Amino acid sequence: MLEDLFPTSTAMIVLEIALVTLVMFLPALLELKKPKDAGPRRINEDSDQLPPHMGLVSMERTEQFKVDQTLIKKIADIISFLPNLEG
Amino acid sequence: MYEPTVAVLIPAHNEARVIGRILQRMTELSYPKNKLEVIVIDDASTDATLATAQFYEGRYSNIKVLHRNQAEGGRGKAQALNHALKVVEGEIVICFDADYYPRKDILERLVGEFTDPSVGAVQGRVTVLNEPFNLVTRLVALERVGGYRVDQEARESLGLIPQFGGTVGGFRRQLLISMKGWDESILAEDTDLTFRLFLTGNRVGYVNDAECYEEAVESWHAYWTQRYRWAKGHMKCAFKHSWDVLTSRKLTLRQKIDGLLLLNIYFMPVLALLSWLTLIPLVALNAANESFALWALMPLPLYIFTANFAPFFEVGVGMYLDRRTRASWLIPLLIFTFLLNIPICTKALLDLIRAKIMRKDDNHWDKTFHSGNGNSYMEN
Repeated sequence: MLEDLFPTSTAMIVLEIALVTLVMFLPALLELKKPKDAGPRRINEDSDQLPPHMGLVSMERTEQFKVDQTLIKKIADIISFLPNLEG
Repeated sequence: MYEPTVAVLIPAHNEARVIGRILQRMTELSYPKNKLEVIVIDDASTDATLATAQFYEGRYSNIKVLHRNQAEGGRGKAQALNHALKVVEGEIVICFDADYYPRKDILERLVGEFTDPSVGAVQGRVTVLNEPFNLVTRLVALERVGGYRVDQEARESLGLIPQFGGTVGGFRRQLLISMKGWDESILAEDTDLTFRLFLTGNRVGYVNDAECYEEAVESWHAYWTQRYRWAKGHMKCAFKHSWDVLTSRKLTLRQKIDGLLLLNIYFMPVLALLSWLTLIPLVALNAANESFALWALMPLPLYIFTANFAPFFEVGVGMYLDRRTRASWLIPLLIFTFLLNIPICTKALLDLIRAKIMRKDDNHWDKTFHSGNGNSYMEN
């Protein structure tokens, strides 16, 4: 009689929908129950992070004074070698 | 360095709980004070908004208060802003809602976009401050991440139609005056301005780094009220601008397609309801054998299915970019806001149609209540 009231196929569909719903919402329920999210973005107040357009302006000036790091390393190598010459 | 004179407009109607926070922040902005004027438009407030604003006016020479009394005020944001537009002098006009809290260098980031002559307006990013408060604020925060970090950014990058959102953004003052300011007959005055701007051949520049906190609605009733106002105003913009967007010679094909999709976005939940109301009876009555009827209607649910799931992916990508994968676990819950938007948008459309039939213009501005709870999330 029960099978007449609840055909197997209908029961299966209901069960599948329930399972899918549970799987879909389980992570959300976990996060609501025990929140581990860090919270809203903290607006970065670092003033040296210039917006792109202003960065381009300041970068032009910085390029004028930019020193090639490989050149500095070569100079440092030469200076470190000089005491050996004196010896 | 490009540093035009800037006028910041802060319209406020009964914002006593939050107005002090933003005015204090205005005094902390890094923009040169001699090039900055802050105008608070007290729009017929009945609480301590005017007194708080006048306190700051008395202490800081670049903060001014415009008071609108009960007879002239309280009729919406557009009217208040137009009132201020008559008296401001800055080259650039930037708007903030009273519950907002911007980063210190936000003005530099926003006005810098105006070095591009094609930019007539700018829009910054909005981040929800009171996100942890309850489920409503957490879901609104998800929507904001998708809407700004992904949607607006994509529109900017692809040369489409980024929107001026009415706050954390602004215009060239002379251009705004030539466009006759805000349309007081439309609730979504920001959307209306966006499309009027694009139709003049100018564009909105979206600046993702110009970030500002906002206080999100904290109850489902407030969510309904706010979204109902947005839906009604946006739909009215769709009726007003769709044909002009379609036929404009100043828009690219991509902008026309995006503009039409954007204008009609609040009809999507209504179309979803329509597709269910037509297809479900067809299937239930075993009318699937009537293949013509089924296939004729099929494009509608397919479009609805694709379009309505896009926001979920937007939010997911936004959360990934913000490195907040744990918060993205809440994304399935957005189904409930999607379902809630169906009656909201349907009611908005029916009310618009009824107002049109009865020739009765209903532009009543239902103000969003701000509790000031966001203050507790500010770091000292």
